[in-house]
Amino acid sequence: MFLITELVALLASNLILTQALGTSTLFIAAGSKKNLLWTAITISVFTTLGAFGACLVDSLLPEGMYDFRLLFYVLIIGILYILLLTVLYFADRRDFSTTRKYVHVSAFNCAVMGTLFTLSDRADTNMLDYIYAGAEAGTGFIFAAFVFTAAFSRVNSKDVPASFRGFPASLVYLGIISMAIYALN
Amino acid sequence: MRNKRIPPVEGFFRKNSVLSGLMVISPIIVCGNTVINALALIYAFSAITFLSVMAGSFVPKKLPYGIKIIIYAILGALAYIPVKEAAEMFFPGVIDRIGVYFMLLAVNSLITVQSEVKFYKMPKGKMMLSLLCHILGFDAVLLIISAIREVLAYGTFCGRIVDSDILISGIGMPFGGFIILGIACGIYRYIAPSGKNTDDFGGDSDVFDY
Amino acid sequence: MQNKTKSQRFIWIDIMLTLLTLAVMNFFYCGIRTVVLGGICVAVSMAAEIISLRLMHRRFTADDLTCISDALILFLMLPAVIDFRMAGIACIFAAVAAKNIFGGRRNMIFSPAAAGYVFLFTSWKGNLLMYSQPHVHTGIFEKAEHLVNSASSIFNTTGRIEYTDFEILMGNVPGPVGTGSILLLAVSAVILLLRRDISAGAFIGTFMGTAIPAMLVPVCNNSLESLKYTLSANMVLFTAIYIISDKRIAPRRNYYAFFYGFFIAAFSYVLVLTTAKENAIVIVSLLFTPVGLGLRNLEKKIDGFVKEEKDAVELWEAIKSGEYVIPEDEEAVYEE
Repeated sequence: MFLITELVALLASNLILTQALGTSTLFIAAGSKKNLLWTAITISVFTTLGAFGACLVDSLLPEGMYDFRLLFYVLIIGILYILLLTVLYFADRRDFSTTRKYVHVSAFNCAVMGTLFTLSDRADTNMLDYIYAGAEAGTGFIFAAFVFTAAFSRVNSKDVPASFRGFPASLVYLGIISMAIYALN
Repeated sequence: MRNKRIPPVEGFFRKNSVLSGLMVISPIIVCGNTVINALALIYAFSAITFLSVMAGSFVPKKLPYGIKIIIYAILGALAYIPVKEAAEMFFPGVIDRIGVYFMLLAVNSLITVQSEVKFYKMPKGKMMLSLLCHILGFDAVLLIISAIREVLAYGTFCGRIVDSDILISGIGMPFGGFIILGIACGIYRYIAPSGKNTDDFGGDSDVFDY
Repeated sequence: MQNKTKSQRFIWIDIMLTLLTLAVMNFFYCGIRTVVLGGICVAVSMAAEIISLRLMHRRFTADDLTCISDALILFLMLPAVIDFRMAGIACIFAAVAAKNIFGGRRNMIFSPAAAGYVFLFTSWKGNLLMYSQPHVHTGIFEKAEHLVNSASSIFNTTGRIEYTDFEILMGNVPGPVGTGSILLLAVSAVILLLRRDISAGAFIGTFMGTAIPAMLVPVCNNSLESLKYTLSANMVLFTAIYIISDKRIAPRRNYYAFFYGFFIAAFSYVLVLTTAKENAIVIVSLLFTPVGLGLRNLEKKIDGFVKEEKDAVELWEAIKSGEYVIPEDEEAVYEE
């Protein structure tokens, strides 16, 4: 019972389904299941590690400099971006040209940046809560990716009218799922 | 495909960044439910994107792709600060309603991806024209969708009550934004000459080539 | 192919008969207004379907009359006194956004009735969940007065239904037009199950998914009472028959359909228990659409593997018996 209420809470705070953050990235990556999975995982890594940096920024930044939060978050993601690319390069040089694209797509997008901005509302000031909230957001993205994958062949089917085939039908599909989540709350 | 000559004005309609490229859709879906919110978003998006992309055109091309993207994002974040200060004067109260989506405009796809993939490959004059067309295309879509949603969901237009018998409050919610935008994309594809090109997803697919 | 078409049409006819029975029953409780409401739902759905098919350059055939059953299912979930315009808009949403945008009956993703209901729930919750008392007949153009909460709502908040078993069986309780008469619904379920018009696995799964939690974690003091009221309230039985067990949506294999129905029912029971959400099962059935689609994709894959294996066995037997001669350039492959 506790699991189900937790699941409902997770759905209610889902980035894509309730806040439309990262929808474009989801559609970019939906071309293949492998792309989608790895993009979702990379985004989760960014949100989780970025949460660490966001906690530092939120705790150290004076109140009068609130407008500079965006700049510092961009710097954090930029540093993570370079670090991840470096790690990938040294870890697996042979496949680097393939794996780096996931980092390119995942770094500066609404899912990651939006997570960092909403963390302070969802977490207390301690580091563990921030990282947990960041991981939760990443998990939510993975979940939304699965929700989307389930219907991928249907929304791209030949039976769908040509004008709606692909992205338009996908938007309506996500909208109806989002409507069901909204009704639960 | 990338070598094909593309007229700069097609960013307004034929290659509209929202309806054709599905970029920058989050603010439209969540915050594009009233005309006043839309005007604030239009102002923010137009100012931040124009300033960031123009400033980014001076970044040396020889830098690695990753470094350039970070610089573009930083330029967007820097442009955000004065734009926000001005927005608080012209649109008081709206910034709170729009919330995080105002800040997210500073890292939108036009700045972080399209600039590198499309704009900076053009001569400066053409780039400016193309950029303006893309911005105007986004603005037009946002305005139209917000107007429709405001009338249907709240029975108002620009905050003024219109004679609307029945209100569908769900249209003003994010899920209503998804559905309305999806239907708008479908209608756009039906009437636009190249709107059916599902492969050309705003050029973001070119990211996979770097 | 012709047999499949015929059987689909017979399924539709059976479902329509049971729905019409429920509608007629409700006419006695709520009067002429329900007939007009039903008529409007059907007319609007048909018009939306015809226009959608025209725009898709398809002809309207007898098989497209399933829009009428979808409209009736939605109509039966509504209060008799709901505004006609709201019902009409919900029918248009169900027919267009939830069905025809995805290709219509050839490519069903959502249950149109469930989507229409949830759309109404999110847009006009107050209007949707207030009902007139049974035998109070509101005129066609009258404004309804003295509206009350449904018996399900009272059950969700207090754990009791203050009506006799007979009244619950007959549907003589405030609530949606066609979902309260448990006796009629039970008979409909038996008929549709015996004629294989609905998914048996999904129906049994839904039943078990409601019954087991209701007895293990009862709402009331008594497990049997909890089971009785849980099955009677919140449109559980109606949704189990016409939405979850819809063969167009549920997984085809009974094994998968059972778990599909079970988890929907269990999830919605927990929601009723913890949040007193009225008619949660309809919302949850819509939310579990990706699960149903995932199971259908899995079935397709399994069918694909089985077919491949069968083809391989047939080919091997044909080679052994000499019916099939291996081409020279492929001999090496077959030798391997």
